[in-house]
Order: sequence, then structure tokens, then C-alpha cells
Amino acid sequence: MLATDLDRTSDNMGDGSMTIQLPVAEQARLNRERADDYHRYHIDTTETEHRQKFPRRFNVKVGKFGLAKLLVKEFFKYFGHWDVVFSRPCTYGVFSGPVGGFSPRPDLCVGCLRCEVQHPEFVTVTHNPDLAALGDSYLTSKHISTIDEEAKKGSVPVRGQGYRGRFGGPGFDQMFTDMSEIVRPSRDGIHGRELIGTSVDLGSKPMRLKFTSDGGLLDAPKMMAIQVPFIYAPPPDSVSTGIIPEILAETAGIVDTLAFLPESTVTNQGLASPYVVPMIAPGQIGNIESHGNGTRMIEMTSWNLEAWNQIKEHPLLVSIQLPFAGDWMSTMIEMVDNGVSIIHFVSDHHGESDEGRFVMDLYQEAHFALVEKGCRDEVTLIGTGGIAGADHLPKSIITGMDAVGLDHPLLIAMQARLLGDTKTRGAAGVKLPATFDKEWAVQRILNLSCSWRDQLLEILGAMGVREVRRLRGEIGRAMWCGHLEAEAFGDIEGFPGGEH
Amino acid sequence: MAKKEWTKPSPKLLEKTLHLMHDGFHQRAFPDTAYDLPEALGDARWTDDLITSAWYMAETGECPDHLNYKTGRSGGGFDKLEFKELPEDQHLPEDAEIDISLELNRRGDERHKRTIDIPWYGGGMSYGSVSVNVMMSRALNAKKWNTLMSTGEGGYPPELYECSEHVITQVATGYFGVEEKSIQAAPIIEFKYAQGAKPGLGGHLLATKAGEEVAKMRGSVPFVSLFSPFPFHSTYSVEDHMKHLDWIKTVNPTAMMSVKVSTPHDVDMVAVGSYYAGAHIIHLDGGFGGTGAAPEIAKKNIAMPIELAIPKVHKFMQMEGIRDNVTLIASGGIRTADDMAKAIALGADGCVLGTSDLVAMGCTRCSNCEGGPSGRGCPWGLTTTDIELQEWVQQAWGADRLDKYYTALANRLKQILRQLGLSNIGELRGRTDLLRYMAGGEA
Ligand code: SF4
Ligand code: SF4
Repeated sequence: MLATDLDRTSDNMGDGSMTIQLPVAEQARLNRERADDYHRYHIDTTETEHRQKFPRRFNVKVGKFGLAKLLVKEFFKYFGHWDVVFSRPCTYGVFSGPVGGFSPRPDLCVGCLRCEVQHPEFVTVTHNPDLAALGDSYLTSKHISTIDEEAKKGSVPVRGQGYRGRFGGPGFDQMFTDMSEIVRPSRDGIHGRELIGTSVDLGSKPMRLKFTSDGGLLDAPKMMAIQVPFIYAPPPDSVSTGIIPEILAETAGIVDTLAFLPESTVTNQGLASPYVVPMIAPGQIGNIESHGNGTRMIEMTSWNLEAWNQIKEHPLLVSIQLPFAGDWMSTMIEMVDNGVSIIHFVSDHHGESDEGRFVMDLYQEAHFALVEKGCRDEVTLIGTGGIAGADHLPKSIITGMDAVGLDHPLLIAMQARLLGDTKTRGAAGVKLPATFDKEWAVQRILNLSCSWRDQLLEILGAMGVREVRRLRGEIGRAMWCGHLEAEAFGDIEGFPGGEH
Repeated sequence: MAKKEWTKPSPKLLEKTLHLMHDGFHQRAFPDTAYDLPEALGDARWTDDLITSAWYMAETGECPDHLNYKTGRSGGGFDKLEFKELPEDQHLPEDAEIDISLELNRRGDERHKRTIDIPWYGGGMSYGSVSVNVMMSRALNAKKWNTLMSTGEGGYPPELYECSEHVITQVATGYFGVEEKSIQAAPIIEFKYAQGAKPGLGGHLLATKAGEEVAKMRGSVPFVSLFSPFPFHSTYSVEDHMKHLDWIKTVNPTAMMSVKVSTPHDVDMVAVGSYYAGAHIIHLDGGFGGTGAAPEIAKKNIAMPIELAIPKVHKFMQMEGIRDNVTLIASGGIRTADDMAKAIALGADGCVLGTSDLVAMGCTRCSNCEGGPSGRGCPWGLTTTDIELQEWVQQAWGADRLDKYYTALANRLKQILRQLGLSNIGELRGRTDLLRYMAGGEA
């Protein structure tokens, strides 16, 4: 048979049907165009300086008399060798101002201690107490300075010479995450040559698709995707109106995630958009109809069967908030039995329930209860509370959340200082920088979001996991410090609960 | 404003700077000087006492009585373990012969047989992450102590050939600087699959640190970021790994093989697989150590601390019946002689030191190794190839510091053994019955 153009450009589908393809060169050209058009998801970062002074890390004190004495001595000793006379111990410019060490610039100090070790008689470098005073027992000054750096640079914090902190610890520090040594499904993901997906679905995944007799899809699944496994949780009451909600709404749109905001704020400030989730009290649930402008989802602020029955068939996605308080487990089961597809767990800002239990335990209980019930994929779980560092994100997901809510870190990124009760949700006082504009704040949150997403990629890349959805509830990827210690030290005298 | 061009320091500047630095280390580490420990020095793992006691040891060859040179304040792991010392009348006498040497090839094959005089050697720090001066200080000291040091992944500077019998050539995932010549020169080839500080993440030398010489050594272009991917692109299985070892065998039929891995959940399986692929040394690198720059999120969170991995691997290899055919080396957070003894009591044969070597040569653990705001690297001349800063570590001085430091470490190790009534370091391996878990020691 003679080859024809049609032969060369068509595929026989094996069932007698045939798909007609374009000539090879044309197809190649189109493929090229499509490839050139393709943009991998990323968040644009720009270094964004402070709007209010962030406490420096170190204070540098120089004894003027000692310094003067040294300079005079060196002047005569090294007369003519001006490179020696003018040499300074600091490679970071702390003593390179107009009058050198007589007016040091401690903001530039990184604590290498060369000056103090070389000149103990007149230089002292000390930790800045103003920095140490930031934060509270949970959201420590270390967390705050790390978030500040992330919001400023948008990159992954990198430092030399190993780990400097405690061994294990409470809260999220109880967990190490696993990595895959040799055999792994994803290679080079973190260096950008291969895609690791961070998008997650919100809503109920259908367990099966149903079709009409003529092949049409029945009951299209009610779900949506966001590009990162975190949402922006509502700000505390004191800043729940005004510029902060505007900033969160705008940033959520750029990142392609969701900002959860009080319904009144959304309405009064005209913030409705596909990236904003109005939070509606059950008593006002009828207001669901008033949210337009592309709104895709609303949140009901507490469980109420009657209110739910009013809206469960509504085309918008509905998330329902459930605090970790009282018999939350029974409430969760009741919600699921009634067809709720998105549950938003909320703990206090230290990640604790009303009984003081930590979220990593609670997340596991919720996740495994739904696994046990055989409906885990029909429900999306979001957890808000206690997220203070980038590692808390994957750890929450490993313990069972689909997505996580960010709250205080967003305010810290905007250089807010938290005042008063920082544990109870909603009660914290917030002091924002005096000069403060939306564009700056949006970029700071974008930077933080990018940095945390990149750090999530580091964790996923190390594990060889291609997409964050696969990390959910993957407890096998967790290594619990307590368990490992019991395994390693159980036979050592004095180990609590050991054989001795 | 034009950027200042740095130059090699003049002899006078060198003399002044070295004098001030060396005097400074002395002033801070000795009890009879007027100065307290710097308030900003140290952290929970490397306390001010640990840092300055390393300076003291590196100057005197002895352990200081006035500083805690044994443990940090991390509140766990090595810092919660102590030895059950025998009553003094049961200690071995001061003049008793204590053997702390370590045989590295236990497979009984035709490869190099190598016994090192001390149960530790120097871990990989690449040219680029550190200078030739630092590499040579370590190599000269390794030669003196009949032990080893590893090149890291950055090539084999020609100066190192004079110590080649004591230099391990590392082959890592970027294959930077890997040459037939350096493989043929090495008694041991180390395959680095992962490193504890950034497990599963590969390596990254910032563009600012990849200057002309560094790039040349690595076969790259100057001032371009150099990534070592993770893992080896040619390795998907233990069989693939075995092919690596076969490839080395073709190039150097007598070299021993070391496999460096980090500490995931299945580290025990990885270790056994590596053994069956032909490794003589299984080198576990725990998460808390690392001399190079690493993402902060990785250091604390990914993979397990070395203290927890050693017993897991040791016991699993015992169950597999291969424990005595392989040398188990621990690194990544080993700071002191006491840490080494504890690692061995938990099941390792020996250890690898990295950070400790740098601290002995003056590192203050300020963590600006990746360049810091100056972009020039370490202000103490350690983790830098900056033309001026690298001169702050002179080879003879560095080697001498390390020599004295190793003297103090070796003596302390022997003292521990003596206090336990053991005359050979091999007798300590896996003796968890000689350890006690302490209360306290919180960060
Ligand atoms: S501690 Fe280091 S960075 Fe700070 S002033 Fe002294 S020399 Fe400069
Ligand atoms: S920059 Fe130098 S002194 Fe600072 S941690 Fe790194 S090696 Fe040590």
C-alpha cells in the first residue's frame, strides 16, 4: 500500500475509529508553542526591606579609651604600613563608618566575635535583649526573626555549621521527617528540574463518577484546587477590618490560595473575589446568596445542622469551622454524616485544644477516624493554629491535614508586634508599623509564602514525594523523637520507661 | 561605588592579624586571664565551654579542668548520656597500654588493609567550601596521626598529593573534580550519597564562593552556583550502587570503599544494602552536624540525629550476621572525645570529625560560612577561599592546632577506657550497659 499523507498523520485507534492529526512539522511547531507558553507555578519574590526597625541581633560596645590607645600604639608600631594601621577586625563593616570603632554600626554585626576575641580589653558583643524579648513561650524570638528574614528575602534561610538548638522538644519539634536515601521516585525536584506539586483540592473527591445514559457526567464533583497547601486565616478582631483584610485578599489572589475573612468585612470593604472566603455565622447563613464576584467558597463559623441543611445543596463550596474543644470528635462525625465536605479545625495560637492537647495528636485522631470510617477522601481537613515555622506545615500535613491555616506568621511578616494575650484566638493586640502601605505588605507576605513553599519542597524533595497531596496522613514519613529514643536508649540505665 | 578588590595580606598585616587572633584564642580559653567567656559565644549544642575548651586543647594538648569539655546543653542524645565509671581502685593504671587504633577493612578481601591509630578521621570539606590551607592543615595532621581526612566534593588540590596515603577521595553526586588520578591515589574512596545537614537535598556552593581556582578544580565556570544533585543520577537500586563500586575497582583495584549516607527511617536497610554492594565502611552522617551551609529547615527536621541511628544500624547488622565484617563510622554532631566514646558504646566502630576540627582552628560557630553579608566567607579564614581571609589560617599553625587537639582527644578517650576498665577501644563497641541516661541537661 502506498503511504499517503493521511496515513502518516493519523492514528488507528484499534476500534476502527481514526483520529486525524496534523502533519508532523505542524504538530511539532504547536507543541513547541505550547511548551514555550507553559509557566510552572511560582511566587514572585522581591527583597523587601523593613518598614520599622527590626531589633538587631547583637549589641557592640567599644571602649573609646582602649581603642584610642590601640590606635596610637599601632600608628607608631606600623608607621608607613598603612594597610596594617587601617586594618579592621570586622569584615562586615561594623567599624568602617566615618569614625571607625568610635561609632560602631552594630546593625551590621553578625556575631562572628572576631573583634571581641582579638580585643577583649575593650570590645564586647552581646545578644540584643530587645530581640530576645520578642514573642512568647511558643512563638519565640527565633521564630519571629526567621519569619522576618523570610518575609524580607523570600528565600530559604541557609546557614553554616550545623544545628544549634535543642534535641527534640515539645510540639512540632517531636517529629523528624523521613528522607529517601537511594531509591526515590522524584529526582532533583528541589533544584527545579522536575515538578513537585504543591496544589491541594478542597471539597469532596467523588469516589466514582456517574454518567447519564448518553455519556454525560452526572453530579460534577464540587471541589476546587489551590496552588499551595496553606490558606490565610482570619486576622485577630482588632485588625479584622481596614487594610489588613485587603492585603490578605490581594495576596491570596496572587498566590492562588484563599483568605478567610469575616463576612461583614468582605461586604463592607467590597473584597468578594474567587480568593476570598466570607465567614458567615449560622444565624446569617442566608447571606450566602449575597456573595458574588466569583466567590467560590464560604465558611460557616460553627456547626449548626439547621443552617447546614439550608445550604448544603448550594453551588458554593462550604467549609465549617470546628474548634478543638469539648467533644469535637462527635461533632466531626455528625458533620461528616450530614455531608459536610470541608472541615476547618481551629486551635489556639499555641496549637492546643481547650484541654491543652497539641494539634499533631488531634490531627491524627481526626484523620484516622475518617480513614476508619472509610470516607477520608470525601472530606477536606484544614487545620489552623500553632503554625510558627515552615517545618510546621509539612508536619501538620503528615499528621493528617490537607491544608493548613496561617495566622500570626502573616502579621509577623508585616512586622506587626503582638501584644497582650497571644495564645487565645482573636484576643491578641496588634501593633503595626507606623508607615505601612499595601504594596509593601503584599510583597512581604508573598515572600513568606514563597519561602515556606520552597521549604516544603525541600522536605518533599528529600522524601522523594512528588506532590503534597500524597503526604497527607503519611505517618510513615514521620520519625518521632520519643519513639526513636526509646528504641535507641531503652536498654540504658536511667532511661525513663526503659528496661532498667 | 566600585567594589573593593581584596588582595593577599602583606607580611606585616599577616603578622599583626595572626598575633591578635592567636592571642585572642588564648585569652578566652585560659583560666588565668582577666576575661570572661564572650556572652554571645555558643549555643545549646556547642556551648561556650565546648568551643573554648577546644581552643584550650588545641593550644595545650590537654583537657581543661575549668571548662565543661564533655557535654553540651541540648537536653538530649549525647548530652543526656554519661559513663558508669568504675570505682577509682578498679581503674586501669595510668601507664597501662590502651589501644585506640581502628582496623578499617574487615571484609577480609584483597583490598587495602588499613589500621588508623585513632578511632576517628576527618570528614569531607570540599575545596571551595574551605581553602587549601585548611585542607592541608587537616591532611598534614592526618599524616602525623596516621589517620585520614576526606576531600569532600570539590576536587583534589595538587598540594594534597604529598599526603595522599591519608586522603580519602570523595565521589559525590555532582562528580565535581573527580579524576582518575585522584581515585588512583586514594586508599579509600568515599561515595557520598547524602549528608546529614541536608539529607536528600544535595549540595550547593554559592556563586560567590565558586571563584576562578575553585571553578577550575571543579571543572566549571567561575562565579556560577554549583549544585550537587541528590541522589546519584545513575543509582536507582543497590545493584546500581554496586556498579559504582565496580567502576572504582577498575580504576583503583586496591582502594577500600566507604559509603556515606544520612539517617532516614530505613537507615539500617540502607547500611546492609551498602555492605552487600561491597562497602568496607558504612559512614552514617546524622542530621545535627555539617560544616557547610545548609537550609535551616533541613538541619533540625529531616532525618534523625546520629545518636538514634547508630544503635539501629548496629543491632540490625548484628542480626544480619555481618556486623564484624564492616566498619561502622558515625558523624554529624560528634563534638568531643566523650561523644566519640558514647557513639562507640552505642554501636559505632569509629567517628568522623568535621566541625570540631574547625572549632579547634578558631571557629566561633557564627554560621556565616556560606558567605555572610560580606559575601567573602568566614572571617576567621576557615570556610572561605577569599584571597585575603584564607591567609588567616596558615598550614603549619593549623596542623599544629589539630595535632594538639587530637592529642587531648586521644588522651581523654584513653582516660574513659581506663575508667571503665577497658584496654581496647573495640571492647567498648555496643556496650550500652556502660552508659547511664542522666536527668537534667536541658537546653
Ligand atoms: S562580632 Fe564580628 S561582625 Fe560583629 S562587630 Fe565584631 S567582628 Fe564585626
Ligand atoms: S563562618 Fe567561620 S567561624 Fe563562623 S561558623 Fe563558619 S567556619 Fe565557623
